[in-house]
Amino acid sequence: MSTRTLLLDTADRIFADHCDKSLLDAAERGEFPEDLFSLVRENGFQQLAMVSSGVDLADALAVLTTAGHHAAPLPLAEMLLANRWLDDDAGLTSVGLGDASGARAVPWGRRADRVIAIGAEGAWLLEDLAVEAAVNLAGEPRDKIQAAKSQPLELKEDGYLLLALSRVALMAGGLSRALELSLAYVNEREQFGRPIAKFQAVQHHLAVMAAETAAALRAADAALAGIDGERAEEEVAVGKSRVGEAVRTVAELAQQVHGAMGYTHEHRLHHTTRRLWAWRDEFGTEPVWERRLGETLAALVAAEGGTSLWSFIATRA
Amino acid sequence: MWSNLIAPRLVFLSFSVTLADPIFQESQAPVLQFDAIELPEDTEALREEVRKFIAANEDLIGTPNSDFTTGHDSEFSARLGEQGWIGMTWPKAYGGGERSFFERYVVTEELLAAGAPVSAHWIADRQSGPLLLRFGTEEQKNRYLPAIVRGRSFFSIGMSEPNSGSDLASVRTTAVRDGDGWRINGTKLWSTDAHRNHYIIALVRTDPASERHAGLSQIIVDLKEDGAQVRPIRNMGGGEDFNEILFDDVYVPLDRVVGEPGNGWQQVTSELAYERSGPERFLSAFRVLVAFAQAAGAKPSPEAAAVIGRAAAHLTTLRRMSISVAGMLEDGKSPEVEAALVKALGNDFEKLLPEMVRLAVPEGGDLDEGWAEFRARYADTLLLSPSFTLRGGTREILRGVIARGLGLR
Repeated sequence: MSTRTLLLDTADRIFADHCDKSLLDAAERGEFPEDLFSLVRENGFQQLAMVSSGVDLADALAVLTTAGHHAAPLPLAEMLLANRWLDDDAGLTSVGLGDASGARAVPWGRRADRVIAIGAEGAWLLEDLAVEAAVNLAGEPRDKIQAAKSQPLELKEDGYLLLALSRVALMAGGLSRALELSLAYVNEREQFGRPIAKFQAVQHHLAVMAAETAAALRAADAALAGIDGERAEEEVAVGKSRVGEAVRTVAELAQQVHGAMGYTHEHRLHHTTRRLWAWRDEFGTEPVWERRLGETLAALVAAEGGTSLWSFIATRA
Repeated sequence: MWSNLIAPRLVFLSFSVTLADPIFQESQAPVLQFDAIELPEDTEALREEVRKFIAANEDLIGTPNSDFTTGHDSEFSARLGEQGWIGMTWPKAYGGGERSFFERYVVTEELLAAGAPVSAHWIADRQSGPLLLRFGTEEQKNRYLPAIVRGRSFFSIGMSEPNSGSDLASVRTTAVRDGDGWRINGTKLWSTDAHRNHYIIALVRTDPASERHAGLSQIIVDLKEDGAQVRPIRNMGGGEDFNEILFDDVYVPLDRVVGEPGNGWQQVTSELAYERSGPERFLSAFRVLVAFAQAAGAKPSPEAAAVIGRAAAHLTTLRRMSISVAGMLEDGKSPEVEAALVKALGNDFEKLLPEMVRLAVPEGGDLDEGWAEFRARYADTLLLSPSFTLRGGTREILRGVIARGLGLR
């Protein structure tokens, strides 16, 4: 069994058992899932992305696909990256975009023991925190943090890029969940005397969702695999673009095939679709990354001719 | 109890993972799996060879078009044959190269990306040859394959009929035993390049009393035979690529049936994984993107840059999925559902691409000389584009195949 399979299997068992509707609802009311957090720590997940773990960064961040699948209400991406950057795993450290004076949209900033701010000028470990609670459209805590003090932090990598990649991985997981819930629902829901799965119009919706999800998983996997490579930025751009595009289609169709039931707060589908809609906006929307990639490719074509565009696409891996 | 699941702790796990690792464990994701595949290192040298060949044969490329049905050039195909780039995966006994599916993949994608004229040998190389290899007699393999490999023998597909399209099992063309041969009557339709190719492999009913999937056979017909009349059909763009073929008492020897009489349906469906997953299923509009990027220049508008980036994201991902399917073929699997999925996604993208880029052409781009090449490529491709989601299985049929793969039907 490979490292990746072992990690994902273990994460899946933990999240599947604990991330039920009541836990997700409680998290949306602002209650931090302390038991789940302890469990994650007991299993060593908070150390996964630390260089000392010996685990490949791609494998460590692949755990986010499992977290995304189960809508795990923890700032797992931020924990993994913060502990990597600080090279320690004490308490709960979260991350947000900002500067030496504070950070915005910090996941569970209200519960964090420490917060790292990342900005164009550098990164800082913030101290003496004042918190203003806020949430994203999925009800996930995204708090505003002000810091009386801070220490500059040297990241040896592009923190923003890794945060964008984390959303690619989370979305890939959410997409597979939306497809799974939809497949189950169309087989159980009956209308006109048979499961709605038997209607061709519904079958085609599911086929489109499966195709988009498969493309998103492939793109996310490539973005993860490429994170240590020369074209890491381009692969994250491909991932954020392609996975974000899949979200638009899959979330819409998931809601459609679930009918009015899926539109209720009582149903669990919205925990997935709302997160997908929130995550695609975090750390750069699709066109933001598409422009970045397109500018790189346009410059390449202008310098080296039309074949260079194909050379970018025709990568070996 | 959870810590018991990972003992020793995760920090001790430092062995490396292979690229084929799933992003999800199987129990979790009810989706089709497209494993990461790294092309073998030696394919890069082959890729360079193909690029050099293309540069050296630029005189034959003319107007680059990445659609595999455009550009029928027997001279270009013969030159490819000399390079050993047709029938690459076939046994050497029949002239083949015994090379991998990945090597073949690299050659085909490079040719398509360059917009080279590959239509003449395309079906023979992709489909007819592999069909004969799998089901044909020794005599058939010896008779037909070496000439295909040399780029001298071209095949068309004879599946659809005037009243049989997506519902292929309803075909009515008949082949009736008559002495030492078969007598064929009926009409085949939409056969690409039949007016320029040598042979057609027609799906016919050899058991006149049969219905639907039973009693069908595939039969090789020389298009020069008496009684075979090929009538080109003009497409909406004004070109002639597909045809109607009338069989009026065409007589062929007994040994022209591929495989066992009556096995036609199984054989036809086995072709589909080859037909549906290749780079020709997402690259048809590629030259439009190249022309767009060239016209947009080194400093494109934000809209133009975003379109290039979005198209590159689609293409890079589609190609990876397509290579995953090539890997399944290399492993001897029959990934029919995965191939249908890649084709469905790829065809939709081929149609989307001209639409995406046209919306990012700046004001005046309809007149500006700098956009002339783009306008020509755009017009060519847009007029072909309705065929993208029809040929080789319509979008609707493909979605049905995927739905079956999901257990919905």
